[in-house]
Amino acid sequence: MSTPTYGATASSTTLSPVAAEFVGISQVYGSSVAVDNIDLQIEQGKLTTLLGPSGCGKTTSLRMLAGYLEPTSGEIRINGVDSTKLPPEKRNLGMVFQSYALFPHMTVADNVAYGLRLRKVGAKERDARVAECLDLVGLGHLADRKPKALSGGQQQRVALARAIAIRPSLLLLDEPLSNLDARLRVQMRTEIRRIQSETGLTVVLVTHDQDEALEMSDAMVLMRAGKIMQTGSPTEVFTAPANRFVADFLGYENFLDFDGRGLITVRPEHLRLQPAGVPVYAGTPSSANGFVLPATVTSVAYRGTDEIVTVTTADATPLKVSMHRGSHSAHLAPLRPGDAVDISASAGDIVSLPAEAA
Amino acid sequence: MRSRPFLFTLAIVGYVIMIVPILFVVLSSFTAGRTLSFPPQGFSLQWFQKALAYEPFIESLGSSLLLAILTTVIALGLGVPIALAIARSNLRGKAFVQSLFVSPLIVPELVIGLALYQQVMITLRLDSFIALMLGHIVILLPYAVRVTGATLALGDTSIEDAARGLGASPFYTFRTVTLPLMRPGIISAALLSFITSFNNVPLSLLLQSREFRTFPVTMLDYVQQSYDPMIAAMSTLIMAGTVVIAIIAERTVGFAKIFGGINK
Amino acid sequence: MIRRPKLLLLPGAVVLVLAFLIPSLAMLFSPPSTSTGEVFAKLGAMLTDPYDLTIIVRTLLFGLIVTAICILLGFPIAYLLARSQSRFAGVWLALAIFPLLLSTVVRTFGWLVILGSNGAIGQIIVALGLADRGPQLLYTPLAVILGMTQLFLPLAIISCYSAVAQVDSNLDDAARGLGASRTRTLWTIVIPMSLPGIVVAATLVFAGASTAYTTPYLLGGTGQRVLATQLFTYASITVNWAAASATALIMTVLVFLVSGLSSALASRKGSVV
Repeated sequence: MSTPTYGATASSTTLSPVAAEFVGISQVYGSSVAVDNIDLQIEQGKLTTLLGPSGCGKTTSLRMLAGYLEPTSGEIRINGVDSTKLPPEKRNLGMVFQSYALFPHMTVADNVAYGLRLRKVGAKERDARVAECLDLVGLGHLADRKPKALSGGQQQRVALARAIAIRPSLLLLDEPLSNLDARLRVQMRTEIRRIQSETGLTVVLVTHDQDEALEMSDAMVLMRAGKIMQTGSPTEVFTAPANRFVADFLGYENFLDFDGRGLITVRPEHLRLQPAGVPVYAGTPSSANGFVLPATVTSVAYRGTDEIVTVTTADATPLKVSMHRGSHSAHLAPLRPGDAVDISASAGDIVSLPAEAA
Repeated sequence: MRSRPFLFTLAIVGYVIMIVPILFVVLSSFTAGRTLSFPPQGFSLQWFQKALAYEPFIESLGSSLLLAILTTVIALGLGVPIALAIARSNLRGKAFVQSLFVSPLIVPELVIGLALYQQVMITLRLDSFIALMLGHIVILLPYAVRVTGATLALGDTSIEDAARGLGASPFYTFRTVTLPLMRPGIISAALLSFITSFNNVPLSLLLQSREFRTFPVTMLDYVQQSYDPMIAAMSTLIMAGTVVIAIIAERTVGFAKIFGGINK
Repeated sequence: MIRRPKLLLLPGAVVLVLAFLIPSLAMLFSPPSTSTGEVFAKLGAMLTDPYDLTIIVRTLLFGLIVTAICILLGFPIAYLLARSQSRFAGVWLALAIFPLLLSTVVRTFGWLVILGSNGAIGQIIVALGLADRGPQLLYTPLAVILGMTQLFLPLAIISCYSAVAQVDSNLDDAARGLGASRTRTLWTIVIPMSLPGIVVAATLVFAGASTAYTTPYLLGGTGQRVLATQLFTYASITVNWAAASATALIMTVLVFLVSGLSSALASRKGSVV
């Protein structure tokens, strides 16, 4: 069975490279601003993630895109067409809700068929499409079950199948993995990625989990307090965070400003730690723009594969160093609070950030 | 429980007061004697036969059933849209609207009956049946609004959003998703309303006419005039019928949901 | 989301206004062939006339006594059932609630069999040799109180039950672990925390008991008139509209006052917990 391509509305044959666009979109409730005048472009055929802490406006943005919320100002274009005032049922977008929102009084097959029945698709084609979508998510054998007989992961896949069945122009996922346990979450990341690449659908995914975003996205949009902080590919965003918020959110826990360098940040995994006074090994930083700082150990936390060593520099800046524990480091003496150490980083691992706004 | 004698005693007294009168009624209805007394003399089903043959009882039973069904259907037809409007819209002053439609519960039924008697029957000279229907609808409306409202409040709104997202118009969503999911609430409201209407005394007392008398009122009249086991037999029959309905309700909906709607 | 909810409210609102609000207001303040002034004049007269005052006081007393007894008996039942581990708790609860499905007539006239001079109690008293003839307990205040207690106990039990059920039983365990006896736990933990629900129970019972018709009518007779039976007399028998409206006013104000009072109490207590 060949997987038909999706990502097309019934009428359009050519697709613009921009599947969806926000132009000057805001959402204001009284005195609180949920989304603050953002411009956004979702690329056709790619998986874009809206990432940020709770309250940053990512879910609000998704709901505006889907049509459940009307923006206070701005324009929303879907495949080039101004859809700002269009109600959800006219937008032909597939949405998967955080709670899955399956129809409890219908079987899995009827759930998936719901959108097709509505569009008056003929019985034979409808059944064929339902079977195809259920196979795509690996649940063909559960077609006659009711949602309450399914596990969380299975329900989520039914929700996916249901959204895909209507051949939407975009697939929207609202924190689809947050209700799943850790192992299932990891599994489903791969699943969703596979489905997206097999169908060629344009996907917009909302999440607060940076690992999820890094693993699944073609493009990432980081949001905070209603504004977009940075957009780019996972590599771009991860290796070159644009500001302190993005860096912090992505796990850069060390922020330094000394010797007139301006604000810089280094990942805990990229800092090197040696007992004070020990000669620097070959390959460790000593070149220009790297640095070596003396510090004192304040605490050591064992985490199995690594240790988080917290140190304080001479000017009282706390730093976290992630030290890998394995056979290669077995010879190192255990660290204790109060030990004097040297912290170093090479230039390639140091990221410069713009000065903090107050 | 045996270790809390004081509480246990109070509880027993409570149950005795609640159950014994009803028990006496049921037992007395099987008497072979001619008077309503305790203890019953002998065992016979004669009074059941007489009760089922007594015209006024049967006629008023039919009237009460008709009235209860009509008013329940109308009350639901008026109340379900109200519950929907409260639970699924951005209406201003929802709490006020809710209290407004629940307010008939606070006003004594006798007062409502008097108001309709005066204004509808006497001032407007309308038929008493109309006044009776209006009165019952007014006191059933709070149940229709509150019990179905409770079901809606507990539901997951994203299910309806999902239907809209798949292309369903608001009405199609209501028909295929919202309404089926409201079924337990609607059934509970219907049962509560039916029972409330069927058993009602104050309204039906004031708004009765020679042509249309309800069952509880007929029973009340009978108790005052003749005092014999026929009324006990009729009561026992009604109780049996009620038990059957209660068991059916339990099987289809579950007690907890029904009585959840009563609490303020 | 519904875009035009007011349309949905319209039919119900029309019925409510035409069949409830307008008739009630008209009845209270402007009954047929009577002026508002006459209603208030009659109201004033009733509040000073000893005959009418007796009825009002009797109604209030019945209400208070029945409320007190219903709480006294209903709360223990609710507490024991809510904290019970037995499989039969549900059956006992159903047994207590079932009478609510029956009409007041069916529930009340059983007392005629019990309280008459030849009734069950009368016969027992004669059998025990305490008197020559069974005492006529019908048409006494005791009869009305017993009848109304039977009527409103299920209501009290439901309200108290949901209140007690919401008090986390882990709190009981915590108190016992700290050394409190079961009685002490009941008085210092369970009852204070169920108080809002108990207040609701009391309100419902009082509102019902002070406006009840069937029970005072059947069991009280002409000697134990209450506001409800008086209202019926004025409306159907003597056809005195001013008096009927005045009585209705008193009953309505009474119930509103009690409801308002308990709401105010409930919102204050709520903030303490």
